[in-house]
Amino acid sequence: MNAGQSTRASLRSGYGLLSPSLLLLLVIFLAPLALMLPMSFKPYIAGQGIGTGFTLEHFVKALTDDYYLEIAGRTLMLGGIVTSLCLVIGYPLAFFLARTRSRLRSWLILLVIFPLLLNLVVRTFGWIALLANRGLINDALITLGLIATPIKLLFNFTGLLIGLTHIFLPFMVLVLMAAIEHLPRDVEDAARSLGAGWLVTFWKVTLPLSLPGIVSGSILVFVLTVSALVTPRLLGGPTYKVMSTLIFEQFLQLLNWPLGSALAFLLTLVSVILIAGSSALARRAGAAA
Amino acid sequence: MSAAGARRVALGAYVTLVLIFLMLPVLVIVLAAFTATSYLTIPPKGLTLKWFVQVLADRDYVAALLYSLKLAFVTTVSALLIGTLAAYALVRRRVPGAAIVSGLLMAPLAFPGIVIGVALLQYYSMVGMRGSFLGLALAHLVLCVPYTLRAVIASLSGVDPDLENAACTLGAHRLEAFARVTLPLIRPGLIAGGLFAFITSFDNVPVSIFLVGVRDVTLPVKIFTAIEYGVDPSIAALSTLLIAATAIFLVVAERWIGFHRFI
Repeated sequence: MNAGQSTRASLRSGYGLLSPSLLLLLVIFLAPLALMLPMSFKPYIAGQGIGTGFTLEHFVKALTDDYYLEIAGRTLMLGGIVTSLCLVIGYPLAFFLARTRSRLRSWLILLVIFPLLLNLVVRTFGWIALLANRGLINDALITLGLIATPIKLLFNFTGLLIGLTHIFLPFMVLVLMAAIEHLPRDVEDAARSLGAGWLVTFWKVTLPLSLPGIVSGSILVFVLTVSALVTPRLLGGPTYKVMSTLIFEQFLQLLNWPLGSALAFLLTLVSVILIAGSSALARRAGAAA
Repeated sequence: MSAAGARRVALGAYVTLVLIFLMLPVLVIVLAAFTATSYLTIPPKGLTLKWFVQVLADRDYVAALLYSLKLAFVTTVSALLIGTLAAYALVRRRVPGAAIVSGLLMAPLAFPGIVIGVALLQYYSMVGMRGSFLGLALAHLVLCVPYTLRAVIASLSGVDPDLENAACTLGAHRLEAFARVTLPLIRPGLIAGGLFAFITSFDNVPVSIFLVGVRDVTLPVKIFTAIEYGVDPSIAALSTLLIAATAIFLVVAERWIGFHRFI
């Protein structure tokens, strides 16, 4: 240990090699983010643009106005339901992929990875074709005689829920799969040999042991869902809005950058707090194990 | 059938259903691309390749594709270069506060893409870089370095530093020792990191859409805008081409380095 440390101390400093990446981070990431904050305090005058001075009105608006609160509530609700759906749908698949001894295993995992690598716009486009009034799902339901007129699946909560669950399911499955793979199998075997049935073993042993994976997968999917732009914009259209599409509209269409900056700041706050909280949680779980 | 056997069959059936759900939009797009009608319909009515011909003859789409490929290529090479330098420093050199440094370098992954996009929109507008290739490439680079960094660190941690030291003792220059000894050993990490960087850049919308200019547009942003105006089978044809390219990419990467182990 001492010898290792002394060789390490005699090593050359690594900051020279780190300087290109740190410089990039400073100039193209940290500085732009830092400059966004003052923008969110500037007044915005309709018809004239961004004024000078200091105001809290954008934050007050975003946190008290019913219109913005409804969109924020909808975004968080979508995050919660999409996360739960991904967890419930994804767990059995992750369990199967972690445990199967099938020769097809790596190809089945590739089937989960494939949608992740496929362009997000393309995947979302597929859901437009499926969910539209004359899309595959409505056509099938009408042909089967289950409904008489098309049900509305686009530009509303249902459409976003289906699309976002599909987009983020692979993330959940891959995180859970890694967690289940690393479970100590002998604990399960011990429970079984002590007379516990498979359901009890799963409920009392497997599931609690995979909790770190469940937590990190859920945080990941929640953060990705509340900050998703492409899928909500294409499936929700310009009218059915969430936080990120609202920010998109403020910046590119209404040109109210101060309000957009305030909303972006609040969205960042939610994500960063959740991610920091989850890594603190993971450290504590790691320390307890 | 035993209870355990029945459970296995039930799980197998469930897994098949979920995998079908995951593949459903892909299948739908591929089917819709061959329809002879001027609107999207599934199953396709008639069979034609005219939408593929139309897309491939469209100068705007081809220009957007070339622009995206150029951007992804420049970004990937740069991300590999500075990511490898940083990884080498973090694994092999003395870096006080290494945990903070690596946390900082990975931070772009923790931020919502749209926030990075709007922050850079304001920043580039201030310094007059909005719509420039350089601005877009630097933005993509910030998003891609975490992937190359992580992959190279993973590979480099498994390589014994004494191999490189031995080469130096035998008279090799440090750079030569790195290039001839360490570099071949971290090749899988470089390939995996490079593939991630390429895909991250090539697929990006939430950052690109705020930074592209009026003339030069990336392919995903172009498709995004086209869908907002209205969908037709030519978008399905273009998407089918991207699906085929992604599938080939994935199979080749899997055969080459066992891609699924790097996810």
